[in-house]
Amino acid sequence: MLDVYFVQQLVIGLSVGMTYALVAIGFTLVYRVLTAVNFAHGEIYTLGAFAALIAILSLKPPLWAVVLCVIAAGAVSGFALERIAFRPFRRFTDEASLKSRAVREATLLSSLAIGIVIREVIDRFYHGQYQTIPEAYMLDKPLRLGGVVLSSGEATIIAASVVLLIALQYLLFKTRTGIAIRAVANNLIGAQLSGININRIIVATFVVGSILGAIAGMLVALAYGSVYSYMGLNAVIKAFVAMVMGGLTNIPGAVAAGLLLGVTESIAGEVVTSAWTDMVAYVFLLVTLVFFPKGIFAWKL
Amino acid sequence: MSARPFAPRVAVPLLLLAFVFVVVPGVLALTGSGYYIRLAQLTLITVILTTSLNLLVGTAGLLSIAMVAFYGIGAYTSAILATRYGSPFLVNILASGAVAAAIGFLLALPIMRLVSIFFAVATLGIAASFHTIVLNWSDLTRGAMGIPRIPPLSAFGYDLSGPFASYYVIAVVCAVAVGIVHRLTHSYYGNAVRAVREDEDCARAMGIGALRLKVEVFTVSAFFLGAAGSLLAHTALYISPDMFQLIESILVLTAIVVGGLGSVPGAVAGAFILVLVPEAVRGLGDLRALAFGCVLFLSILLLPRGLFGEVSALRLIRRQLGLGRDGGRGLGWR
Repeated sequence: MLDVYFVQQLVIGLSVGMTYALVAIGFTLVYRVLTAVNFAHGEIYTLGAFAALIAILSLKPPLWAVVLCVIAAGAVSGFALERIAFRPFRRFTDEASLKSRAVREATLLSSLAIGIVIREVIDRFYHGQYQTIPEAYMLDKPLRLGGVVLSSGEATIIAASVVLLIALQYLLFKTRTGIAIRAVANNLIGAQLSGININRIIVATFVVGSILGAIAGMLVALAYGSVYSYMGLNAVIKAFVAMVMGGLTNIPGAVAAGLLLGVTESIAGEVVTSAWTDMVAYVFLLVTLVFFPKGIFAWKL
Repeated sequence: MSARPFAPRVAVPLLLLAFVFVVVPGVLALTGSGYYIRLAQLTLITVILTTSLNLLVGTAGLLSIAMVAFYGIGAYTSAILATRYGSPFLVNILASGAVAAAIGFLLALPIMRLVSIFFAVATLGIAASFHTIVLNWSDLTRGAMGIPRIPPLSAFGYDLSGPFASYYVIAVVCAVAVGIVHRLTHSYYGNAVRAVREDEDCARAMGIGALRLKVEVFTVSAFFLGAAGSLLAHTALYISPDMFQLIESILVLTAIVVGGLGSVPGAVAGAFILVLVPEAVRGLGDLRALAFGCVLFLSILLLPRGLFGEVSALRLIRRQLGLGRDGGRGLGWR
């Protein structure tokens, strides 16, 4: 029953799902802290991929230096995004106005606007063309595990994501910053009263989420070799679906939902033509929203 | 006292209609350029889009990104009916509106219980899945090739394909749509919709059927978006999935945010800005989306109420248009 081909699709699905999960975590973190959706998150993913491309083309550094560049790019863009699209709308510091509908909708539209600007600037800069990662940096060597053949890129995505997820859990549960992030997410005013600088923590949340998003972009770029200005849009929709399925504030839930989505798409690709696999996410979204409005992983994972 | 508020109530709409039906075509006839007439047609189609989306996003406060899906459903319904079954324009436009409204109604039922951001995400999904479906359901929509040779406008056996005749057809539909949205917004019905937007629980406690009201508004806006799509199909004569991408929703959303959420004059002004400003600064060319991203951001930051804020628009319409019940103070609705 469990034939090799099926297992192979499963593993490919897992690697795709992992990239959705990494992007979804950025959403979830921001949503937990600010109750706001960051529509520009997909562009952080795109920026991560382009940062890797620019670093590779200009300096030809070793791979670890590319990773450092991408992390730096993610951190800077997360910081800048918070400053430009979110902070100007937090004019008052009481909880009611911080999480008010007006602020949420204003930041929704402002991050959407910033996302368009980033995407269009990249698009103009590269004249809307696909860019390719040089062969030497591509992770496309076939790996053979038993009967299963997968590319080194897919294996790297899975391995790197697992490492990042463990690092994230360590950050959130063992470090002062992480505990402060959880405190702010839980009770903003309470956190403020116990001496936490909430503005600093909100920035930290954006930086952490953006680093994960940028690394996801880089991994996809290195594994599949092409980089383009609209790559974030697809990732952002899938990550959204994963976030909603996970229950909006639940990081393990978002990861599980991302993996489920990736695997389902990969297997659905065998049944229908690949163009229709995008519909899997929308069907999942609709089913989740209608039947499980609190997310399919609403219980504590 | 009774004659005074009556005059502007009739005079202002008449002036607006005269502007659209006499002044604009007159000026266009003098310039004699087909390009400007097409631009005027597009502006009026966009006015239908902005006013009907504004009813949903502004007045009802339901941030919908699915506009392009209903616009596209309307365009494809008309195109398919006209090219496959040869049905006349008048049937097509009503069918487009009806199909869009029916799909809107069916989609509204499940997604209407979602709150703000969930709702926006769900409509994002609708818009994105519409594009996927249209692109891949080749048997029905011819996929990426699009549908060419859509017959131009005609009615009751008259050929209305000329630029001015088409302009008048669009103007009539636009006037009807804006008139209906205007009366829905500026009435006690509009008050109820605004009440649901401000505080749904409170509105329900006051006896307003919030869910029903939201579904109604969604359906009505889908109807007009569908009708606008039909006009597009019958004047552009060719439609393809590329014309109905997510960015179109966001451009129209930008227009109503800049014009002023919840304000009908603002929505109309937003449509003019959306179509005419990029034409005025031609050098911008393909930087249109970039420019609109910047404008959207700056508008939210610096002008959160838009060019014509909702409150000032309502006051204007109550007092100057004489639609307020209590003439002097301009309260209530007539």
